[in-house]
Amino acid sequence: MLLKDVVCPYCACLCDDLDVTVEGNRVTGVDNACDLGAHKFQAGNRLPGPVRPTEKGWDRVSREEAIGFTVDMLLSADRPLIYGWSTTSVEAQSLGIHIAEEIGGVVDATTSVCHGPSILAIQEVGHPGCTLGQVKNRADVVIYWGCNPIEAHPRHLSRYTMYSDGFFLENAFKERTLIVADIRPTESANVADEFVHLKRGGDYAVLSALRAIVRGKTGSIPSHVAGVSRAQLLRIGEVCKNAKYGAFFFGMGLTQTVGKYKNIRNAIELVDELNRHTKWTLTPMRGHFNVYGFNEVCTWVTGYPYAVDFSRGMAFYNPGETTAVDILARKECDACLVVASDPAAHFPRAAVEHLAEIPVVQIDPVVNATTAFCDLQIPVAVTGIDAEGTAYRMDGVPIRAKKILDLGYPADSEILREVYQQIRDRKKVREVKPV
Amino acid sequence: MRFMLFSGRTIRQGNAVESKLSPEYRDATSVLSMTPFDMMEAGLDEGDAVLVSGPGGQVVLTVKADEHLPAGHVFLPYGPYANHLTPTETHATGMPDYKAIPVEVEPAEGKPVTVWELMRDLGGVPHAP
Ligand code: SF4
Repeated sequence: MLLKDVVCPYCACLCDDLDVTVEGNRVTGVDNACDLGAHKFQAGNRLPGPVRPTEKGWDRVSREEAIGFTVDMLLSADRPLIYGWSTTSVEAQSLGIHIAEEIGGVVDATTSVCHGPSILAIQEVGHPGCTLGQVKNRADVVIYWGCNPIEAHPRHLSRYTMYSDGFFLENAFKERTLIVADIRPTESANVADEFVHLKRGGDYAVLSALRAIVRGKTGSIPSHVAGVSRAQLLRIGEVCKNAKYGAFFFGMGLTQTVGKYKNIRNAIELVDELNRHTKWTLTPMRGHFNVYGFNEVCTWVTGYPYAVDFSRGMAFYNPGETTAVDILARKECDACLVVASDPAAHFPRAAVEHLAEIPVVQIDPVVNATTAFCDLQIPVAVTGIDAEGTAYRMDGVPIRAKKILDLGYPADSEILREVYQQIRDRKKVREVKPV
Repeated sequence: MRFMLFSGRTIRQGNAVESKLSPEYRDATSVLSMTPFDMMEAGLDEGDAVLVSGPGGQVVLTVKADEHLPAGHVFLPYGPYANHLTPTETHATGMPDYKAIPVEVEPAEGKPVTVWELMRDLGGVPHAP
């Protein structure tokens, strides 16, 4: 059976034009997806059912036991951490935040180790954003700064920028100017009209120089700024000012390097400066499928986008203190629920070490590095393959992902709903019982 | 020799990320890229093993040449090997320095261990079906 317009559950481009062939409850073909997306549809290694490690090996447990264990762990912890969320639906994310509130825990998402600094900068100076449809139809100058979409978001160029014709651009490849800024010539730099090859840690200085140029203060620019020549900076300043519509995309080359959120603040202020001449927008290249969704949901529910601590009986947000890496590094949490992510593979070593010392439950379809630290893993359906759910594209557009297979796994929202309900029921029992 | 290590995404790492225990994932994330000149200075050939020591710990990797890197810099794809070297300091942002890790690189024997062995080293219990 050929299914049309399937949503890809891999990256935050959320391509919604995939043709997927399903035969006998198996995906046998994926068209229109990039390599990354096609792999995701065909990946195996699902766990058959909930498992926990014992002295003899890994034993299967029932769903009821698994949910009971998770509830016990969360209710008996003094400082539980609930972390993950980037590859599941907003429905599951919302339940996770409510569970954290109910137990007075900390809830954080993979945002804190990808575009958390972008959010910090946006909170300082605002977000001149737009939809990717605007970029596709209007942008005649596109900047990719500190990101390599050809490897990380492979269809971004063909769906929204260089290779995608738009309403006002009939021959996009010829009419758009592509500028790539990075510390090494990446695959994306190879297709750029202008490659800004800057020195590591030089982003803030180069962005400041461009802001000065756009303001007309060209006399203050030295011969080179962080390895970039004055002539190239002046040329780029002119291209940007003369754009009809410019789109600035940036990635973890800005968020994870020296200066972190200050780099992004400077990029936003450059875009602000350019808007005195023409129209410019800025979009973080969000990585995972629904990492942006968590920030939306968390903001509706708590007022804050990630790293929310409910231990005071109200929402408290202080990145650097209430973020997962910091909490684990300080050996502060005494239980951890991981949902739809793999912190053992993506957190620094010393943060992972603490996971070995505390009870950990993971809700995830596959065996991953975090499985090694689990006291229990509950496999669930993959949102966008065998569970439906809503996800947010990198530009903040919500898209409903379809269920295309039925493999018998529960959605993570089903498991989380049961956990939430049992926590509430148990708390009610405690509240009414005289001590 | 001392270098500045930065980690990042690659398409090979991205393709294998759904099966982190596979040899493909290990091969995609345990290869350190260096400039040919830096390799020559360090007496290394393509495919040699190196012991890399960073603020977070030590790990054995294999080395490959990348003429496009800035001199004095090495690149490692995102994953548990890079994170064995990454410190936990987040400078009050929640974000570790994934793209600025000072490391020492020296020739070594052997080859990169598996992801399970890395996790066992941190106190984890590998899953066996
Ligand atoms: S670009 Fe991203 S969303 Fe689109 S097909 Fe590739 S992995 Fe999937």
